[in-house]
Amino acid sequence: MQRLRVILRTMWSRGTGRYALVVLALWLLVALVSLFWTPRPLLATDGYHVWAVPSADHWLGTDGTGADVLSWLMAGSHTNLVIALLTVVCSGALGLLLVGLMVARSSALASVSVAVVDALISIPTVLIALLLAVPFGASAAVVVGACSIAYGLNLARVARPAALLAARSQYVESARADGASGLYVLVRHIVPNITPVLAVQLSMSAGTSVLAEAGLTYLGVGVGAGVPSWGHSLATSVKLINVFPLTVLWPGLIVTLVVVALNLFGDALRDAADPVANPALRAGVRGESADAMPDTLQAARPSLRSGIASADSPLVAHGTKEIVDER
Amino acid sequence: MRFVVRRLLLFAAALVGVSVLVFAALRILPGDVAVVMAGTNASASRVAELRAEFGLDRPYVVQYLDWAGGLLHGDLGMSALTGRAVAAQVGRRAAITFPLIVMSLVIALAIGLPLGCAASIARSPRLRGLFHVLAIAGGAVPALWSGLLLLLLFGRGVGLIGLFPSQGFPADGWGDPARAIASLILPALATGFVAAAGIMRYTRAALDDVAVDGGPVDMAMACGMTRTQAMLHVGLRLATPQLVSVIGLTFASMITGVMVIENLFALPGLGALLVGDVGNRDLVAVQSELFLLAAFFLVLGLIVDLTHRALDPRLAAEEE
Repeated sequence: MQRLRVILRTMWSRGTGRYALVVLALWLLVALVSLFWTPRPLLATDGYHVWAVPSADHWLGTDGTGADVLSWLMAGSHTNLVIALLTVVCSGALGLLLVGLMVARSSALASVSVAVVDALISIPTVLIALLLAVPFGASAAVVVGACSIAYGLNLARVARPAALLAARSQYVESARADGASGLYVLVRHIVPNITPVLAVQLSMSAGTSVLAEAGLTYLGVGVGAGVPSWGHSLATSVKLINVFPLTVLWPGLIVTLVVVALNLFGDALRDAADPVANPALRAGVRGESADAMPDTLQAARPSLRSGIASADSPLVAHGTKEIVDER
Repeated sequence: MRFVVRRLLLFAAALVGVSVLVFAALRILPGDVAVVMAGTNASASRVAELRAEFGLDRPYVVQYLDWAGGLLHGDLGMSALTGRAVAAQVGRRAAITFPLIVMSLVIALAIGLPLGCAASIARSPRLRGLFHVLAIAGGAVPALWSGLLLLLLFGRGVGLIGLFPSQGFPADGWGDPARAIASLILPALATGFVAAAGIMRYTRAALDDVAVDGGPVDMAMACGMTRTQAMLHVGLRLATPQLVSVIGLTFASMITGVMVIENLFALPGLGALLVGDVGNRDLVAVQSELFLLAAFFLVLGLIVDLTHRALDPRLAAEEE
């Protein structure tokens, strides 16, 4: 609890972290509220005010069927929240499983899993989604499945160097000698070593799931028809842009703001939750200087490098998923 | 040399593996092509007839060998719904998608590379923070939305300043190159902007990796270059192999990255073809198209790896 408070305070103390926390808290709040209340019922259409401009009745205007844009966006926020959370959980689980295999003691198992990850990692998310969409049809599960597979692979690849270093360390060897199981070593020793990478990659996967949902729903393989989501709002607003262009602005703006917040959240969390980077967490204990750390571990903590406050991970250079493909 | 041979063998093995994977993935799908083709009121005998006609009643191994043998001869099969050769369809669509991807990539590089260099050279934390936020914000924009905004600004008939055709592709294809290119500019900008953010991040990260304390950039500065000179002449050269990998990956991912944009701008490209065929459960076409896409990724991976190695002699030296 104490720890959590320190982490949150550290994140709050930076502008980017504060922005991320505010936006994500708003997202949570709106998603919760939308379960019980939206300004207008979702299915209530106002046939006399199609494509209406924002007014006291319809704060963000109405779409082509006269439905209230704000209500749909609010309702969409919980669909996207569920998709993002499921993506984080599933890609995290898949990623950790793969990391475990990749640093396994059996060298055959390790090299096969490395080869498989390398081979599969270049498959774009959209392609996985299209494959999944044939048997399952358009559904949120397709978005979650495709993002989880793509990001689980990415996570495994990016986390491998730090995980390998931990797996070959003396403390793991001594734990092994004590009779610790592979699972115990993974959870107790390897996961803490890759927490900085996990923080960044998992929040990035949440952001990607929001972007992927928008793109896939537009292509007709995302969430089903009639289910409120930001991608749904964006796709409906596309059909008649020349009639009322302002409607187009809102869903895209919300997606952009939220994805920026998720990316910044990952960076801020990495810097705040890592005892090496955040002295407040060490509570007076003097550890080794970060300069003495192996390169692999330093690379996972870019904010420590060269004294310049950089929050961008050079590790990203080893990931591949984040370039353009989800859009 | 040994590396090249090994890499080529790996490539061939991966091709076979991918073809098996695509084939198997499509066999376990519940939708029955023959039933779809025969229509809703078809009799059972008609379905069986169609199944025999397309060879769907044969054992999987025979079907696979037949398909793979065709691929080796450049025969991608016939679309089950339209009855046209898949190869011809893919070829016509690729004549739109490839120029679009190349234009997007050029735009992405023209924006992303200089910004990435500037972000890495910048020393003041405030400026670096600004570049950081710029890269993140650029990468967070859905391509669908950036395409829409471009349409609203520059699309003819829709936008504020009608500069470019807003949708569609000239019916005579590349008969009039100027018109064809004009209709690709807005879509290319839409995907190019988003990809530029990625290129910018990678360029910055690659340069930062080279510019570690006491590294080659410091060395060049000790020899009298300014920091900017050292970064651009020494740092950028050392980062080139990584940048080539990134460019290759960006190129590969754009194949699917442009799908949404092709759809929005009503361009009859590869993405539209694939999405349509998936929707129609056109088994033969989807199978060959997915294989072609996967093969394309593998070829790019091969090219990137070989170029990477040619550009970075340290890799060869390490193996000795």
